[in-house]
Amino acid sequence: MSDRAIVIGAGVDALVAAHLLKRAGRDVIFIEEKNTEDDGGWVPPQIARELGLELHIKTHDPWAVVPLPQGGTLELWHDMGRTVEALRRLSPRDAASWPQFCARTAAIARLFEQLYGAAPVNPLNVQLAFRVRRLGRQAMEDLMRLLPMSVAELLDDWFECDALKGALAAMGIVHLQQGPRSAGTAFRLLHHHVGSPQGVFRPARSNLGAALRARPGIDIRAGAARRIVVRDGRVSGVALASGEELAAPLVVSGTDPRRTLLELVEPGWLEPEFARALGHVRRRGVVARVSFKVAPCARVVIAPSLDYLERAYDASKYGRVSVEPYIEVISRENAVEAHFQYAPYRRADGAWDSDRRSELGELTRRLLSPHVGGIADARVDVQTPPDLELAAGWPEGQAYHAELALDQALWMRPLPELASYRTPIEGLWLCGPGTHPGGGVAGASGRNCAREILRSPARRAG
Amino acid sequence: MKRYDVIVIGGGHNGLVCAAYLARAGKRVLVLERRERVGGAAVSEEVFPGFRFSVFSYVVSLLRPEIIRELDLPRHGLHILPLESTLTPLPNGDYLAQWNDHDRNRRELARHSLRDAEAYDEFGLLLHQMARVIQPILRMAPPDPASLRPRELLELVRLGRYFEHIGEKRFNALWKLLTMSSADYLDEWFETEALKATKAASGIIGTLLGPRSPGTAYVLLHHYMGELDGVFRAWGFAKGGNGSVSAAIAAAATSFGAEIRASCPVMNVVVQDGKARGVVLEGGEEISANGVVSGADPRRTFLGLVGEKHLPEAFVQSIRRFKFRGASAKVNLALGELPNFTCLPGRGAHLRGAVSVSPSVAYLERAYDEGKYGEFSRRPYMDIVIPSMLDPAMAPPGKHVMSIFVQYAPYQQRGGWTDERREALGDAVVDALSEYAPNLKSAILHRQVITPADIERVVGLSEGNIFQGELSLQQMFFLRPAPAWARYRTPIEGLWQCGAGTHPGGGVMGASGRNAAFELLRERR
Amino acid sequence: MLKTTPFHERTVALCVSHAWRRWAGYLVASSYELSHEREYHAIRAAAALFDVSPLYKYMIRGRDAARLLDRVVTRDVMRAQVGQVLYTPWCDAAGKVLDDGTVARLDETVFRMTAAEPNLRWLEANALGLQVSIEDASESMAALSLQGPNSRAILQAMGDLPALKYFRLAETRLRGIPVSVSRTGYTGDLGYEIWVPAGEALALWDRLIEAGTPYGLQPAGMLALDVARIEAGLMLIDVDYVPARKALIESQTSSPYELDLGWTVNLEKERFVGKRALAAEKERGPQWQFVGIEVGWEDLERLYAEVGLATQLPQQAWRMSVPIYSGAEQKGYATSGGWSPLLKRYIALAHLRAPWARPGTPLDMEITVEHRRRRAAARVVRKPFFDPERKRA
Repeated sequence: MSDRAIVIGAGVDALVAAHLLKRAGRDVIFIEEKNTEDDGGWVPPQIARELGLELHIKTHDPWAVVPLPQGGTLELWHDMGRTVEALRRLSPRDAASWPQFCARTAAIARLFEQLYGAAPVNPLNVQLAFRVRRLGRQAMEDLMRLLPMSVAELLDDWFECDALKGALAAMGIVHLQQGPRSAGTAFRLLHHHVGSPQGVFRPARSNLGAALRARPGIDIRAGAARRIVVRDGRVSGVALASGEELAAPLVVSGTDPRRTLLELVEPGWLEPEFARALGHVRRRGVVARVSFKVAPCARVVIAPSLDYLERAYDASKYGRVSVEPYIEVISRENAVEAHFQYAPYRRADGAWDSDRRSELGELTRRLLSPHVGGIADARVDVQTPPDLELAAGWPEGQAYHAELALDQALWMRPLPELASYRTPIEGLWLCGPGTHPGGGVAGASGRNCAREILRSPARRAG
Repeated sequence: MKRYDVIVIGGGHNGLVCAAYLARAGKRVLVLERRERVGGAAVSEEVFPGFRFSVFSYVVSLLRPEIIRELDLPRHGLHILPLESTLTPLPNGDYLAQWNDHDRNRRELARHSLRDAEAYDEFGLLLHQMARVIQPILRMAPPDPASLRPRELLELVRLGRYFEHIGEKRFNALWKLLTMSSADYLDEWFETEALKATKAASGIIGTLLGPRSPGTAYVLLHHYMGELDGVFRAWGFAKGGNGSVSAAIAAAATSFGAEIRASCPVMNVVVQDGKARGVVLEGGEEISANGVVSGADPRRTFLGLVGEKHLPEAFVQSIRRFKFRGASAKVNLALGELPNFTCLPGRGAHLRGAVSVSPSVAYLERAYDEGKYGEFSRRPYMDIVIPSMLDPAMAPPGKHVMSIFVQYAPYQQRGGWTDERREALGDAVVDALSEYAPNLKSAILHRQVITPADIERVVGLSEGNIFQGELSLQQMFFLRPAPAWARYRTPIEGLWQCGAGTHPGGGVMGASGRNAAFELLRERR
Repeated sequence: MLKTTPFHERTVALCVSHAWRRWAGYLVASSYELSHEREYHAIRAAAALFDVSPLYKYMIRGRDAARLLDRVVTRDVMRAQVGQVLYTPWCDAAGKVLDDGTVARLDETVFRMTAAEPNLRWLEANALGLQVSIEDASESMAALSLQGPNSRAILQAMGDLPALKYFRLAETRLRGIPVSVSRTGYTGDLGYEIWVPAGEALALWDRLIEAGTPYGLQPAGMLALDVARIEAGLMLIDVDYVPARKALIESQTSSPYELDLGWTVNLEKERFVGKRALAAEKERGPQWQFVGIEVGWEDLERLYAEVGLATQLPQQAWRMSVPIYSGAEQKGYATSGGWSPLLKRYIALAHLRAPWARPGTPLDMEITVEHRRRRAAARVVRKPFFDPERKRA
């Protein structure tokens, strides 16, 4: 019993943590709350190595196909030369700048890859300061200048082609209630660049989730946690919605931090100031998912310019759905899924209902029909932020559980007190996209969390 | 020909502060001002007969107390009168007032929200502590983090130690302030819209950003920075207008022996063998000196007065991408009678304070939405003071002057700023304010509208940015105005910068001028 | 601009001194008469009536009301009986005192809390996940404090006063006005506090004056109260300690142990805010103690005699920080003090480093004699300085 660990939640982070704990000799029960098909994001290579997984990485080439207002498309390829060629037709200047831009951004992404492979360190940390200095003057300046910048400013510094800027800026705002002119969005572009080859600004997808689920060793049970039981300040088990109660001295939650600590744990165990801060963690969902039953197609990106994206964002500030949204097409096995942004969780004009849902679906269909074959009369399925909250357990529909903005990133994610995956409740740990390094990177937080648990001093008798 | 140790280009407050400190240290200093009067954006002018205005900047909030003390500015005529309150009129006929008196303020806030009245003190305490953390940094010449020079390395270590000393908790709190939007930040504290909006408004002043733009929370500190200096009552109105701040600094500089020449526009800095040797005036006169300090903004200094050909390419690129984007305008009104606010009729204490048209965060954000695509806000944010209520000498007896700071009126205006557009802005401002003070229109005797294009033309601030460059995180501290050149030095030996385009930036602080003088003196000793 | 209490119409007429002061944003009388002397003696010899309406008052109701308060304050609220009043401090997570006040159990699920500072946000923050309603009754409820040896007789003359033990309360009617009466106060004497809806305030005042006048009842202001509370050894927020929420630096904060309130900290409770920090502090032993100090008369007399003056005594209770020494070194500071007209002693309340806080420890207190700083011999004495039997009897 004292070796038992319960992992709750959904997603690859919780699964990675579960398997690493199992590997260290714990008896692991995994309470799978939602079975989400979440296959996006870079997988740190250590995970496959440590767990002996065979991962298949899926990428698109071209990684983005951007329709141009004058007709035709801009195609951005893995192959640097091909992208330069494609750009040259629109702007020789941008074509010339592209390789250098890619090299400079890749240098920072490499640093992030290192930082993402461990629990976050506060910038006051001396070793971090030395690591940053080792980057050399150029990369160091870039890092300090780019992190707080808006992605619009960054791209305006480098490029003139609207379609290119739009396609890149989209990665700065994905799942974020901010626009490309918002400070900190350049950081997001770099965040999503982590693990990608130089010049590719779309994260790869993998079979990590499926591989972990297929891996034997842990007891996966479908169900939902009702309460994390705490006795005398330390965790003692999990009560399930089914009524069953499982005892364990170690509980890892991959569900969102606010729900874990404010809903699953009886709030009286937290200091009120801490509970208040946790209640302030922002998690505004702004994305709807629209699926069409059609054959896979290219990765179409509807983000024709920075201003287009900014105007799309403007609507969400006042609780409205963008009339001209940012849309990106992701192909699945036998369907095409459109990422629709911005669709706010709370609409100013009342709740989401079936009319509004289908209105959003039809808008997507109309915008995509010139670019995606067979979409005109394909079956459509719309998931609004409240739907995603229900189906995937994303709080307020926010896929990253906590908005990934600079004040909620790195050593601040989701709160400084929780950044090392440890909670004030002894024996209760957090992982998942709500913790460092956050959404868009698969499995890293699960691995970091498991490592912190295994490194923590021997637990008191459970 | 007289030889000078240092020529200071530009008699704005930073140039004057720098000149005063250099002269105090025994340097022979010459200040060259393009306009017929010194002060830059801190000038008082009799725009209409009998009516005096602080034409551009209009309150004293951040003037560093050490400058007041060390230059003995009160002896040179500086008298700061306190602003007692901030009144936010509301569309529903009510208002929110913030008073200096703690009990009065709490009572008023409690009228809107008991919770906010309670949170107000805690919020104030936190920001007070944050301001204390920031304060020593204002006095610092930012070390270059990539530097290998021993002195800068030592300073870097010291800076690191300082942050270690303030502790993780405060560092994290500071990080939140630096990276969050003021709207999000204030949402964590308050529920009253007008309170959040009025506080958020201080975060957007001078910048083409909205209350929901990340990075705006930091400026909330500025107000508390003033309060730290308690005895100095740093938040207020200078008797005689902001021109008397400049006049007092100029008088101090002169008393130390500095020479000030007005109506002397500099054409270029003389650079020989990579060294600054002096300046050439537009009239052709050449004045040589061992050193030149420019109080002009970075774009004007380097791309204008120096010239790209003398500068390294990477540096030129940094200066080119330095963002200005002026967003603020000013409307100065000569009034036949006081405005009568519907929410608080008559002549009350509220007219001795500021009036802030900022009824809700959404109101400000909408104003920004118009601004960011190159229109001026039809319903703008306005910060209003009536200086004649504090200093009757500003207007003829019984009459008044009103200063309206307006945002957003971006420099980049679709179709450019024309005379019609300027007047249209003036009309929009008067219309928007009349909704709260219906007698305003009939009270107006004269009106002066100043757009960012006017500020650029008259004062020489690029794109009319009142801070000599946006105060965004990527343009602050060791990145202001360019990486590796944030220590008031420039790639040209003997050429220094002392304007608000350097750390710590704008707001009539004078810190840039003082820091630059100390760096220069340290170097030359 | 400042608030006035529901009794203002009466108190303003009585306040011939025009000596007003602020208390929690309200205007209250420092003294009604030109000197506070008679008002003070009424407390100890007859009865005095204080307007204490500026106190913050919260009504806490609901299934989890007791749990909420138990979690906020240091004392055990779960075991408080209906009709019981607890005096208690409450702390932040670091175990530093935020405020002190009373918690009265009016019913199984109804409590009234009084506080010196606003606490609505704090109570709400602690109420997360609990079934409880919190009402700020600070303005809707008026309060009077009736203190002194004759206070019981006055109330008995007004109605059916149940026999109330010390720190107990009852709902009753006084000359027909429904009130809540608790046997509590801030004078260390026999006394009561009366809680009444603001609308009934003036009627209650009038009837109390009418019934009390034969017993020597005297409206009294804050100056008289200040002397009495020092004699009673009762600390005052903002004067004797800085509440943690207002502290600019950590060293300004105090724990209950450092304020001589260790008796209110119940570490047996499963959880309450600050428990962890307080348990650790108890184990370590507090660094500071809050004690009574008595300044020696002989030394005082000597210091004045040296400059040719008769001994001068403070006319009012003082509130400032006065250094206290042992030998050459400063070992603490007094925060309030004054001459006790009853005890004929110069007394003060002081914070001392723990090793110097034992009763009887000889110390020196700084005083200014004819513009010069001197040190007068003082010693630590037990609080309260004045503790009559009638207080509890």
